[in-house]
Amino acid sequence: MALLLDIFGFLSVVLRGLVLSTQSLVIGGIVFLSFIVGPVAQKLGSVGDAAMTRGRRLLFWSALTFAGAELAFVVLECVVLAGTMGIPLSTAFGAAFARFGLVAAGAAAAIAFLVRSGLMRTRIAALFALALAALAAQVATSHAAAQIGSRTVLLIADFLHMAAAAAWIGGIPYFLLVLYRTDDARAHALVGRRFSMLLIWTVAVLVGAGLVMAVAYVGSVDAIYGTAYGVMVATKVVLLLALLFFGAMNNRIIARMTRDPGVSVLRVRRFAEVEIAIGFTVLFAAASLTSQPPAADLLGDRASLSDIAERFAPRWPRFTSPDRDQLGLFALQKQIDAAAANNAPRPQAYVPGEGILPPRNAADIAWSEYNHHLAGLLVLAIGLLALLDRAGKAPWARNWPLLFLLLGGFLWIKADPEVWPLGDVGFWASLRDPEVVQHRVFCLLIAGFGIFEWRVRTGRITSPRAALVFPGIVALGAALLLTHSHALSNIKEQLLIELSHVPLALAGMTAGAARWLELRLDGPGSRVAGWVWPPAFMIVGLILLLYREA
Amino acid sequence: MHTVRFLARAAVLAAVMVAVGSVAACAHAILVSSVPAAGAVVHDKGGRVMVRFNSRIDPVRSRLLLVRPDGVSTTLELTDDVPGRDTLTATISELTPGAYRLRWQVLAIDGHIARGDIPFTVAP
Repeated sequence: MALLLDIFGFLSVVLRGLVLSTQSLVIGGIVFLSFIVGPVAQKLGSVGDAAMTRGRRLLFWSALTFAGAELAFVVLECVVLAGTMGIPLSTAFGAAFARFGLVAAGAAAAIAFLVRSGLMRTRIAALFALALAALAAQVATSHAAAQIGSRTVLLIADFLHMAAAAAWIGGIPYFLLVLYRTDDARAHALVGRRFSMLLIWTVAVLVGAGLVMAVAYVGSVDAIYGTAYGVMVATKVVLLLALLFFGAMNNRIIARMTRDPGVSVLRVRRFAEVEIAIGFTVLFAAASLTSQPPAADLLGDRASLSDIAERFAPRWPRFTSPDRDQLGLFALQKQIDAAAANNAPRPQAYVPGEGILPPRNAADIAWSEYNHHLAGLLVLAIGLLALLDRAGKAPWARNWPLLFLLLGGFLWIKADPEVWPLGDVGFWASLRDPEVVQHRVFCLLIAGFGIFEWRVRTGRITSPRAALVFPGIVALGAALLLTHSHALSNIKEQLLIELSHVPLALAGMTAGAARWLELRLDGPGSRVAGWVWPPAFMIVGLILLLYREA
Repeated sequence: MHTVRFLARAAVLAAVMVAVGSVAACAHAILVSSVPAAGAVVHDKGGRVMVRFNSRIDPVRSRLLLVRPDGVSTTLELTDDVPGRDTLTATISELTPGAYRLRWQVLAIDGHIARGDIPFTVAP
């Protein structure tokens, strides 16, 4: 059951992320269809009708997924609670989180039911009432609700923050449906202007409420860099700035379209696509944030500026690996085996997935640093070759994606020495450890996009969509890294390791977005983006080369 | 329609892949203080134990266990003599010298289950 509890902790964040994303799609959809496109649907003619029909379909499926994810979250949480506490399942279902979760799931299911047949005025009022009920139920099980002191201000701030984020980020896919539907610049300008007006208000509310929560939950400047919660909040701010950048670019283009219907809509579409990727990454980062204690509550185990400066001082990379038998885990196993042979009491062994940090020694650190440094060298080479390829000076450099196969294979073998193929834990048994699962998924992603991109680069695949797999997976990998945290992430040592993951993720997101824009835009925009992503890859390589764990 | 399908597939893939990357710290409620403190050496053979957290907890769905030196654990009956919604208290008795663990598991109001051990020693 102890193992189940830790695996469940991982699953609960997965479901929490799905809940937040689909909740945003539901609220964003209701706001967009009711306030943005609905009132001007008749003016838009067939474009308006199609936008409403497709929008309702997206809203229906989002609401259904929201209800399912929320229900699954409540059921799984209650099963684990009942199992670990030895209480009846009915008692577990009486907990506040379960009751409020069921309210949210019920509201989402009712939205799905209502939205199936048209959006009349009375129905819109009911949809808003249900969406507000679902949002209120979420807030009732938030950090704000668990505060010991006065909760009113934080509950209101949390409610407004989530509502504004949902209206903005959740509305973008619906906006994109309109953009895809027609090339008529007047239609884009009309809908775009209305959406931009909404965004000005939502951003103001989002930032205002976010500041209130940041003051309460982070509390001090040193907590921003000294705790995992603070670092994640700072990362969300950086992503918010990226979202604002693309939003502002779109605003300018839409303003120009209003004056000159000849302005192309292409860039608005492409920037909106990138906004969706960044926006939903923020939502999953927010889900990960809810599982961590607020920084203001973590008074011990913080990293100081000097800790960080010391850790990030450049040092020559390590290109030799220690022997596997030198690692702490194997040293401990030897000790256990010797103790068993002598029939002596066994010292406690580390079980993957248990949530207890494995023993670490200097060889463990050297092992991990070597892995990161060699990976950094490969990524730096990938970036350099891609840059050469972009310059058109070396035709052979277009084979650079093959280096990803080397990288994936290397990490598969070396990332987790305690599991197959190097360790004694079998392949399937190792998948019970969320961290191992993440590493395995990373390796498959790396190899997969290496093959894909090589086939695209060498003309074996000619579909333009296949070319999008590479930037899509780079951005996903970066998002994954952003939500990746080692067990017990609030311990200072773990935080110092996590600190290097954030710039890696941001550089990865930049590379993915730039490559996406290179493929999807035309003219100077595409050319500029094409020169941005190889250096972003090189930055990733350099960060990995400087990675240190002690 | 193709675009919608493409977007839907991309969204599902994105959700699944990013979801796989998420990891719970599974530790929202933090232990703020306890009696006895972690690592304490106590001379009494019994008395009141108390654990206080940084957030509101659900006492009906939280528990305290005492793990005795021989490894046998007993669920402690929670008392309700401390005001506030962030504290669990119980009474222990008949302690013999040795190493004990006070094992706690709490459900925070925000739905997070957290747990931990407080080791202490009863002096001879």
